[in-house]
Amino acid sequence: MSEPAPVVIVVEDERQIRRFVRSALEEIGCRVFEAETAAQGLTEAGTRKPALVVLDLGLPDRDGVDFIRDLRNWSGVPVIVLSARAEESDKIAALDAGADDYLSKPFGVGELLARVRALLRRQAAGEGSPEFAFGDVRVDLARRAVERSGQPVHLTPIEYRLLTLLLANAGKVLTHRQLLKAVWGPAYVDSSHYLRIYVGHLRQKLEADPAQPRHLLTETGVGYRFQP
Amino acid sequence: MERPVTSARSAPLLPHGRWRGFAWSTAACLGTTLLASPLHELLDPANIVMLFLLTVVWVAVRLGRDPAVLAAFLSVASFDFFFVPPRFSLTVSDAQYLLTFAVMLTVALVIGQLTARLGLEARTAARREQQTRALYEMARDLSGAFAAEQVVAIAGSFVEENLSARMAAYLPDDAGVLNILAGPAGGSPAIDASLARVAFEQGDPIGPSRAASGPLVLYLPLRAAMRVRGVLAVALADPADELSAEQAGILDAVASLVAIASERLHFVAVAQDALLRVESERLRNTLLSAVSHDLRTPLTALVGLSDALILTGDALPASKRETAEAIRDEALRMNSVVSNLLDMARLQAGVVRLRKEWQPVEEVVGSSLKHMESRLQKHRVRTALQSDLPLLEFDAVLVERVLCNLVDNAVKYAPPDSEVAIEARRCEAGVEISVSDDGPGLAPGSESSIFEKFVRGQPESATSGVGLGLAICRAIVEAHGGSIRAENRPGGGARIAFTLPVGEAPALDAALIARLEGELP
Repeated sequence: MSEPAPVVIVVEDERQIRRFVRSALEEIGCRVFEAETAAQGLTEAGTRKPALVVLDLGLPDRDGVDFIRDLRNWSGVPVIVLSARAEESDKIAALDAGADDYLSKPFGVGELLARVRALLRRQAAGEGSPEFAFGDVRVDLARRAVERSGQPVHLTPIEYRLLTLLLANAGKVLTHRQLLKAVWGPAYVDSSHYLRIYVGHLRQKLEADPAQPRHLLTETGVGYRFQP
Repeated sequence: MERPVTSARSAPLLPHGRWRGFAWSTAACLGTTLLASPLHELLDPANIVMLFLLTVVWVAVRLGRDPAVLAAFLSVASFDFFFVPPRFSLTVSDAQYLLTFAVMLTVALVIGQLTARLGLEARTAARREQQTRALYEMARDLSGAFAAEQVVAIAGSFVEENLSARMAAYLPDDAGVLNILAGPAGGSPAIDASLARVAFEQGDPIGPSRAASGPLVLYLPLRAAMRVRGVLAVALADPADELSAEQAGILDAVASLVAIASERLHFVAVAQDALLRVESERLRNTLLSAVSHDLRTPLTALVGLSDALILTGDALPASKRETAEAIRDEALRMNSVVSNLLDMARLQAGVVRLRKEWQPVEEVVGSSLKHMESRLQKHRVRTALQSDLPLLEFDAVLVERVLCNLVDNAVKYAPPDSEVAIEARRCEAGVEISVSDDGPGLAPGSESSIFEKFVRGQPESATSGVGLGLAICRAIVEAHGGSIRAENRPGGGARIAFTLPVGEAPALDAALIARLEGELP
């Protein structure tokens, strides 16, 4: 990173977890500030101008989901949630509140860094890159063209809309609810079978092995993620 | 009400029946005659007639209709005999008196009739009012009752006091068995439990009827809005007593009030039960979450810290690096044991609520394989999913857990570089999903016992695991209404297959799809 080092705030009440997260992030050239409580975390986020927030959901003073809602009132900074809870509903609540990604404890450092890099990269790239390439697929948003191995692929309007939504949020987990609302409308947020059928169509058309997708990934019980 | 009841005719008069009434009536006429005799010289016959009419009115008011009729005739006869010349004879010298007799008799009869009816109605109204008040008071008491015993006691004492009858209630318990609860004065030997059951099952009243020389017994089902809540059995105290229509009506009212009270108690119990269940479920969930948090937090630190050590790269000598890797791997294994234990606890505590959604099998297979990617590095994976499988309704997180456990199991026993195959196909029971490996297979006879808790496929091997994985798989599959079985493949290796039932998948809204497909860019 030749630019000024990106600032990351780690909000986590366990010292040992903070410690290894910090050393891992510093290893890739981030400046890390730690916070033990949600209140402290919000203060840090307000003063340090972070590029990323790593947030534990089980904080002693406040619910992590509340933290995200508060933060989202004045900041669009990417948030990765760390959750020890196995319940998918907590992750969904955090994502719906505005978190960008989550990691279930325990997680490896490699996993953490991959997610952090993806979000930092996305932020650095800014909005509106009109071309995407993954696997042997190329998508040109300006021309509305999708090609696979040089051959045009026909997508229906719903499939195309779903794909562009996932591409625009590369690396970010989109919940079933968010996707259903954006593509089918607010009346269909609970009809997840629509989404599942259409993601299946996209995989059939774009993935080498639809049963073992590499790019259109399932976050079981939560939603989907596009991984370039 | 279609019920054989003796009608309550012009209600009881003065105590002890009608003969007493006639006697009093005769005595009243006699008294008037004696009173009027000394006044015979002073009074006009017309005024003596008035005295007799007064007597008839008194008899009608106090004694009722029939004694009044008797009094009317006696008065005319007495007037004729004692006061109309020639006296002490029924003959009449002046024919005009015949008119007097006729008018006197008519007036006496009419007045007697009207007065008697008025009195009867007043008495009936008073009695009705009293009964209504008693019923009202019972209803008020019932509304404050908080146990079935109380309800029966309140209704029982009402029936005993107002109808001089014995009452017992038959109330069903959760299993539908009728339990008898007698009123305060106890039940009656004339009450027959088998008749009560018939009334309960058919929901129709039985009786009043009497067995041999016993008292009248009546079985009234407690019909509430939702269902029959029991049976009231009422036996009249005196074997000779009959039941009036009015009394039957009161008993009906009692039965409805008891039915309403029972239903109210039932719903109170249901509400309390639900509250209790929610509370204990919440407690268990909180406990399991806390345990999960407390176990996973140190594991996260262990995995992360050893990982951080490994990633410091060349700074670490190879042997230390291996140590760090071993720490990380053991911590991860510990995590999977903890997950299995917690999952089993959740499944057994019944706190797992299936989040079923309609979805393709392909997706959960894909996500499971992605999840197990690192475990599968040394094996070849083959998927063979029938292409036209229907959508199935299942909890993706839990079914992913099943697949991960099965794949983990296959990797554990199959040698490196061998093939792990995941297949899915239609079968009779729905869709069958299987995981096969090229390992040593299952010990003969262990095909079903491996799904028991803490039983492992290869007891003496050094392969790790506490044997909860397959027990969890079975619990999850069975919660979905499917079944799981293990077998050895003909060519060697084990194959574990589970089925998920096929249901009626929701259709896509064709109009919506057409609109969106046409409208979106």
